[in-house]
Amino acid sequence: MATADTEPGSSQRFEKGTRETLVTVARHAVLLTWSFLVLFPLYWLASMSLKPSGQANSLPPDWIFLPTVYNYLQLVQSSDFVTAFANSLLMVGASVVLVLLIGVPAAYVLSRYDIPKERDVLVWILSSRMLPPIAVVLPFFIIFQEFNLFDSKIGMVLMYVSINLSLVVWVMKAFFDGIPETLEEAARVDGATRFQGFLKIILPAAKPGIFSVAIISFIFAWIELLFGLVLTSFNAVPVTLFVYSFIGSRSIEWSMLAAASTAMIIPVAIFLIAVNKYLAAGLSFGVVIKE
Amino acid sequence: MAAITLDSVTKRFGEGGDAILAVDDVSLDIKDGEFVVFVGPSGSGKSTLMRIVAGLETQSEGDVYIGDTLVNQFGPRARDIAMVFQNYALYPNMTVEENMSFGLKMSTELSTSEIKTNVTETAEMMGIGDLLDNKPGELSGGQQQRVALGRAIVRDPNVFLMDEPLSNLDAKLRTTMRTEINRLQNDLDVTTLYVTHDQTEAMTMGDRLVVLDHGELQQVGTPVDCFYRPVNQFVAGFIGSPSMNFFNGHMENTTLRADGFDYELTTRMQSSVGDTDEVVLGARPEDIVLRDDPNVDYEFEAVVDVVEPMGSIAYVYLRPKAQEIDQTFVVETDGRRPITEDEYIKVKIPDKDVHLFDGETGRTIHQRELDSEGQVAVSEQR
Repeated sequence: MATADTEPGSSQRFEKGTRETLVTVARHAVLLTWSFLVLFPLYWLASMSLKPSGQANSLPPDWIFLPTVYNYLQLVQSSDFVTAFANSLLMVGASVVLVLLIGVPAAYVLSRYDIPKERDVLVWILSSRMLPPIAVVLPFFIIFQEFNLFDSKIGMVLMYVSINLSLVVWVMKAFFDGIPETLEEAARVDGATRFQGFLKIILPAAKPGIFSVAIISFIFAWIELLFGLVLTSFNAVPVTLFVYSFIGSRSIEWSMLAAASTAMIIPVAIFLIAVNKYLAAGLSFGVVIKE
Repeated sequence: MAAITLDSVTKRFGEGGDAILAVDDVSLDIKDGEFVVFVGPSGSGKSTLMRIVAGLETQSEGDVYIGDTLVNQFGPRARDIAMVFQNYALYPNMTVEENMSFGLKMSTELSTSEIKTNVTETAEMMGIGDLLDNKPGELSGGQQQRVALGRAIVRDPNVFLMDEPLSNLDAKLRTTMRTEINRLQNDLDVTTLYVTHDQTEAMTMGDRLVVLDHGELQQVGTPVDCFYRPVNQFVAGFIGSPSMNFFNGHMENTTLRADGFDYELTTRMQSSVGDTDEVVLGARPEDIVLRDDPNVDYEFEAVVDVVEPMGSIAYVYLRPKAQEIDQTFVVETDGRRPITEDEYIKVKIPDKDVHLFDGETGRTIHQRELDSEGQVAVSEQR
């Protein structure tokens, strides 16, 4: 009887263990599949960039091949690529700084002050992103011609800012809304001015949000192609346009295209790693109890 | 250290016809070193009034003085005040030490080492000396509360403002911190304004209470004063726990006809009532007497609705037997007294403990009698 008494318990425990194992296996299977879906194109791209041009697009693919850095050497030696890459880094970097300088204070003001027609202002800011870019590229072209911004770096910076401003304002407004106003009030009672309160208390508390919108703005601007295509010709050509140039009317230089694309990932990856700590901090505030 | 004077302070939110009157013509003198509690239900304007003193809101009309200085035009930073917020409002990105130093850095000329000494001393006093390097997010609610208090104390301000500082703590910790804030205020002797909706905090902490409702000042007085000598039905009902029982009635000659029973007015009450027609009788739960023996000539019979045993005492909810609308009143009895639900019981409201209020205006028209001890308590604290 004693064994009979203990058996159901132990078998239940066994079943529970089995179910846990199954859940773990299923979870890993889903994650592995997902990782594969995300990483395989990257692998494909990177491996293509390490193949000689003849071999790059062969079917079935050569899974085993002798890697070569020839494509990258070609890239680095091409002054057009280096210029375009540097152009893009400069223009995109400047646009991120500028969009944060404009967007973050704007979001703060929209969050904290009584702005007449606040809702309308917000929708108006968003309206710049309501049309497909192709619809606004022509007005942009005309405006750029009028203001001598065509093919200028400043013009491109402004264009990137216009793309990202609504994102920064909307996300940061929501972020500031989540930070209790009593923090600034405490700072003001402690002897800080409103501006000091914003600078010393609210901005540091908003770091995770700021870095999140910074990296997203960077990526959106970095991969922008259409406006670059229409609004530049020589001086302000972004790196995306250079990559695009490997797609010729009659042939595509697959290995060079792959090498340039892979190189484009590097700045984004570095930026991501640098601010990872803040992104991980996410939108959580353990400190402040909401009223 | 400073006295605070409010002179005809009014605050409206919004404009024109839609404006909400949050504070309605409040005048108040708070003495140097006094502990004054603003108490009232939500929407009574108590927080707004404190925020006006802090300079976080600007009054629509009236003057605010801290000490002898008219501070109407001053922002919070120029008022030399320290404030404890309901949600503590600790700076999340700073350590406890940085939190406590921030105000001194912003508002004084002290050197870094002097600030460090002050902060360390205050932290030791508050029992948070070993938490100085922690971020607020790593602290428990009680510890955060202590940091918030410490951050205010280290400033050594003219005035402490506390906006419901205990309402986020659990019941036990709240009691402990209540005592502690009381002790601190006694030791530091800094003028303190304290906002709460909790009448227990108000009774136990304040030198004086400022009872507010709908933005209007109802009564300013010591806790004992507000308890024994409420100026109107609102104060009578708000101060004291459980609340005073009210019985609406109308006068017929010398009898108050309430719902379910009649009450014969004493001669003294009759002269207070005069020709008022609608009268509300008020009696506190601890004053009403219950008697099981049906032969005794007690005032009216009631049926027991619910019994809440509290240990040494019990709260008994009753309905007058002959009552028309369904409304209970509460009586405090000895906790050991056997009493069951649906039981019939005789009730007496002692004449000496009765308050009478004008049924239309709520104004007190007759106060309870005080025995000699009560008179001493009320007059001494006045």
